[in-house]
Amino acid sequence: LSIFLLPLWIHLTAALPLAAALLALCLRSPVVAARWSNAVLAASLGSTVAIFAAHSAAPPGTVGEGGAGVLAVDDIASPMMPVVVLIHLLTMLGTAKARISTQFCARLLLSAGGMLVALTAVPGALLVGALAIGALLPWWDLRSRGRRTRGYCLHMGLFLALLLAAWQDRDGGARPAALLMLAVLLRGGVVPLHGWLPPLFQNAAFGSALVFVLPLAEVLAALRMLLPVMTGGAAEAGRLACLLTALYGGGMAIVQDDSRRFFAHISLSQTALVLYAALQQTSNGLTAALCLWISAPLSLAGLAFSLRALEARFGSLSLREHHGFYEQVPGLAICFIITGLGSVGFPGTIGFVPMELLVSGSIERSLWTPAALAVVAMMNAIAIMRAYFALFTGRSPATSISLRATLPERAGIVIISMLVFLGGWFSPSVVESRHRTANRLLGAPVPPAEAAPHGNPAAESRPSRPEQPRL
Amino acid sequence: MPSYESLLSALALAVIATPALLVAVFFVAFLLNRRLGETFISRLIQGTITVSLLAAIVAAVTMVVAGTSQHTVELGDWVITTTYHLKFEFVLDLLSISYVLLTLVLCATIGAFSTRYLHRERGYNRFFVLFAVFLLGMVTAALSDTVETLFAGWEMVGLSSVLLIAFFQERPSPPRNGLRVWIVYRVCDAALMLAAILMHEINGAGDFDHLVGSQAWPDHDPLLIGPHFTLLALLFVIAAAGKSALVPFSGWLPRAMEGPTPSSAVFYGALSVHLGVFLLLRVSPVLDSAPWLGVLVVSLGAVTAVFAYLAGRVQADIKSALAFASLTQVGIIIAEIGLGFRYLALVHLLGHACLRTLQFLRAPSLLHDHHQLENAIGARPREEGVMWEQRLPPGVQRWLFRFSIERGFLDSLLERFVARPFVWFFRRLDAFDRAVSRWIDGEPGLPPGRRDLP
Repeated sequence: LSIFLLPLWIHLTAALPLAAALLALCLRSPVVAARWSNAVLAASLGSTVAIFAAHSAAPPGTVGEGGAGVLAVDDIASPMMPVVVLIHLLTMLGTAKARISTQFCARLLLSAGGMLVALTAVPGALLVGALAIGALLPWWDLRSRGRRTRGYCLHMGLFLALLLAAWQDRDGGARPAALLMLAVLLRGGVVPLHGWLPPLFQNAAFGSALVFVLPLAEVLAALRMLLPVMTGGAAEAGRLACLLTALYGGGMAIVQDDSRRFFAHISLSQTALVLYAALQQTSNGLTAALCLWISAPLSLAGLAFSLRALEARFGSLSLREHHGFYEQVPGLAICFIITGLGSVGFPGTIGFVPMELLVSGSIERSLWTPAALAVVAMMNAIAIMRAYFALFTGRSPATSISLRATLPERAGIVIISMLVFLGGWFSPSVVESRHRTANRLLGAPVPPAEAAPHGNPAAESRPSRPEQPRL
Repeated sequence: MPSYESLLSALALAVIATPALLVAVFFVAFLLNRRLGETFISRLIQGTITVSLLAAIVAAVTMVVAGTSQHTVELGDWVITTTYHLKFEFVLDLLSISYVLLTLVLCATIGAFSTRYLHRERGYNRFFVLFAVFLLGMVTAALSDTVETLFAGWEMVGLSSVLLIAFFQERPSPPRNGLRVWIVYRVCDAALMLAAILMHEINGAGDFDHLVGSQAWPDHDPLLIGPHFTLLALLFVIAAAGKSALVPFSGWLPRAMEGPTPSSAVFYGALSVHLGVFLLLRVSPVLDSAPWLGVLVVSLGAVTAVFAYLAGRVQADIKSALAFASLTQVGIIIAEIGLGFRYLALVHLLGHACLRTLQFLRAPSLLHDHHQLENAIGARPREEGVMWEQRLPPGVQRWLFRFSIERGFLDSLLERFVARPFVWFFRRLDAFDRAVSRWIDGEPGLPPGRRDLP
């Protein structure tokens, strides 16, 4: 992909799912809409991978900025674009035929397009607009299913109000920083502002909730808008809230009896960890955040993929008893365990190095912080193993038809298992690039080669000044 | 002609690469949705372990002949950031070579035994996948020269152990016991993770030679004194206590016997249960950082040994009795480490692991052996031994029996003071959370705090 064609290509890539969504709405057959969505998302995935490759090969900096376009790719957006599209593609692949509707396909494509626009938006207003529109999609889903939306509307209404207030007051110093911090914490479901998240997973379509939560748009908002204006006090409060949420989510996930609430709390805990890392304002912390932003959504997408495939076969899943699904769907069991352990940083998986970076980076704060993070990892791993045993062990239910994984499911299992398992072995290059990005964001460029690996690490100083704010 | 160092490095890599290849074959089979046949798996396992074992033997002989006491294999830096440095490094020394040889010999025995023992068993494939992960984990941990490498192997061993405890997954108790063991493992893993982070903070790297000096095990740099070393040693002791089922974590060991006999033999009789001991041997110089640490380790070992002896005396099934017998010896080995007898501890570990594996493998045919013995001598064998308990007052006897049969009340204490309050707290929180969500959504019912509470 030529560097000169790249700006145009970025715009086309973001526009493709949006245009496809409009077309999907016009289709009558849900099966055709599903095929159409799969094809569009696969094409988008190929396109975003090409953009990532082209951006990686290009000289450092933002590609496409300064031209007539409103979208550009920088080193925050470039690796996240394929991740976001892949999450949507996996969600589509994991949706049972009986549960697909044209509206669902359109929402999924809109969500993918909206997130691509948010990632690549150059003007701050476009980012705010994309985040706002993204928040409307789950509401549309809840309304179409006839579920109550008051709690969701209250939370997201407050999120949008805070975002807009901060946007209006963007030159005001500490106040917009505080407003933005609140908005980011609310969107991330940080306790006590998490009241919308578990009900969303319970009441909305699992797929709609996934594509709203898993891309971690709040991390994008934190990096693009909050980081340049963040003050020490707000950051400290935000970190504490995130750490408590990670602990809370881990503990709650252990005691859940419903698979969706279990997943909601696991994702709550993981999101809080990524946000905690993003608010650390240190090179290691931000590197961990950028790496976790890739590994956590992918791992959770795999975990959700397994859960949705089971739900499609057996209906809602209780974690109170043992279901014994292993004999019928061993592939899903393996996918569940690989992705589940990947999300908690098990060695050899995609989450291992980011989790190590996060815990080791946090020791600069206090000795208790890494201890708390280790407890979070411990609780999440216990919750995942408990869910695994509940779902896949026990007496196998007798069925008259084959429940083996379908071809699209098989494709999803292979893609996500390879990414989560083999991704761990390709971590070094990813971490290196994320470390460079973190240093650029903090305005403290330290090439990895110049770092003294064997020296006694001194406490990292507060970065001088972040990069040019985009807000 | 390859140099001596590169030959040793190649051999060390061969020891690790072959189990890694084994895991990779199973992973590719999973991706391709192919079910491997019994014969193929059996040959694959035997071939892999043979190659790995031969490489280990050649490396050991080469080192002995050349008089080399230590050889480090660096795989380069894995991750470097401003303040974090992760690399994979392996070491060949007396401790690692001994443990890896023990691992490979016992895994070869168990592998050969299992191919027959589990013939046509429904979970044949699953068993050997987990066995391969276990083998890779053990070899990685045994040869590790950085705490991250050890942690990676440690975690693989833990995961495979837990999934093998739940091997007979149609019954309710194996998964339940597997989950309990997993919880204990995660607690000790958290301690090891914190120890790794603390090592990075102290040395700027996770290399063991940075921590204890570059001399071959068990010699070390004598200047390991300070509160951070003491904290580090404590974290290592907690990690080892969890993995080796020392008091107060001993409750999981008999539960682990739910798995198939070959896995019980290799995991809880021989290798996995000694991994905590191996860790303490590897970092033994850190245990000298404070005099009271030695006392603590000796006490921990002694208490575990006494507890396991008492509990073992009242077990009614052979696998549990062997598990507690194993734990008694582990306790004694730990006490030896605390007393500073590192060579003795290593020899004790090697001998004990081999003996216990043999006993576990004979366990399924124990009744058959007894019948043969009775037929041969024409009478029941006479019970011998000193019944010292009979000399105790009846009240003490009853209390001791109850203490032993309840396995020191360790499980019930942990359940009563840790598990139940934890679950109670989070269930209340969950009920409150649901009530608040319903209230915000405007669902009819009682206000928050009055609904859903158990």
